[in-house]
Amino acid sequence: MAAGWPDKDDQELLALIQDGGHQAFAELVQRHTERFYRLAYRYVQNRETAEDLVQDAFVRLWENPASWRPDRNSKFTTWFYRIVVNLCLDWQKKKRPMPLDEDMPLADERESADEAMIRIQEQRLLEKEIAALPERQRTALNLCFDEGLSNQEAAAAMGVNLKALQSLIMRAKITLKERMKAYV
Amino acid sequence: MSDRQDEKLDAMLRARRVEPASPDLAQRIVLKAQSLPQNQTLPLMPWLRQLFAEFHLPKPAYVVVSALVLGIIVGFSTPDRTASKDEESASVQSFLDADELPL
Repeated sequence: MAAGWPDKDDQELLALIQDGGHQAFAELVQRHTERFYRLAYRYVQNRETAEDLVQDAFVRLWENPASWRPDRNSKFTTWFYRIVVNLCLDWQKKKRPMPLDEDMPLADERESADEAMIRIQEQRLLEKEIAALPERQRTALNLCFDEGLSNQEAAAAMGVNLKALQSLIMRAKITLKERMKAYV
Repeated sequence: MSDRQDEKLDAMLRARRVEPASPDLAQRIVLKAQSLPQNQTLPLMPWLRQLFAEFHLPKPAYVVVSALVLGIIVGFSTPDRTASKDEESASVQSFLDADELPL
């Protein structure tokens, strides 16, 4: 596995990957797999599919390292978020949305059965309503709330300006509040 | 929309559940990539940029000055052959003149 190059930043690793560096690739994968998996999971709500999509994204990077252009892409993660989002959206266009997992575990085991049931219903409804949002609104929510990106970073990942991103988030939240009246 | 509603929705959005990834996901990705060759073909513009970068002069002013100095040194160190050239052309001319004398 990776030799471990914590001192090298992503750009340095990518330069090594472009020269065929397997260890640099392994380091980059170790560093970022988890965050891109979380993002993919938000879209597909299924572990195996999310893992396949993240693997696909990284393998494409390995096969075509020249697709990363340091002169055009300011930050690796910003650029790669876009790659993963596009793969997820492509996947969703090809497939029907997966039904949400019926065995969704409880978020907090200290809750009473009633509280847990309400929470599960809330989560299911929220996921369903997010999945029904327009593509760009969904992406804006996923990047800002789940990945903890700043609005500026999320806007860069989506290729929109800051105002457009804020507008997308605001419209998404208005829609969600309207559709989840019983819970919020 | 009230602030309380906003806060509740934000809290719900932040608490969305994600099933943990397989612990060996990163390793699987690395192993998969190791079995695949890299496509090193560069698109046209980056290829051209790389080509020009090969001829890039890091300090062009120094290069120009060095070239001038080298040219001057080579110029001064080359023997002056002007006189001998004149002699050569004169002898050729005399030969031609001699050749044209009436028989």
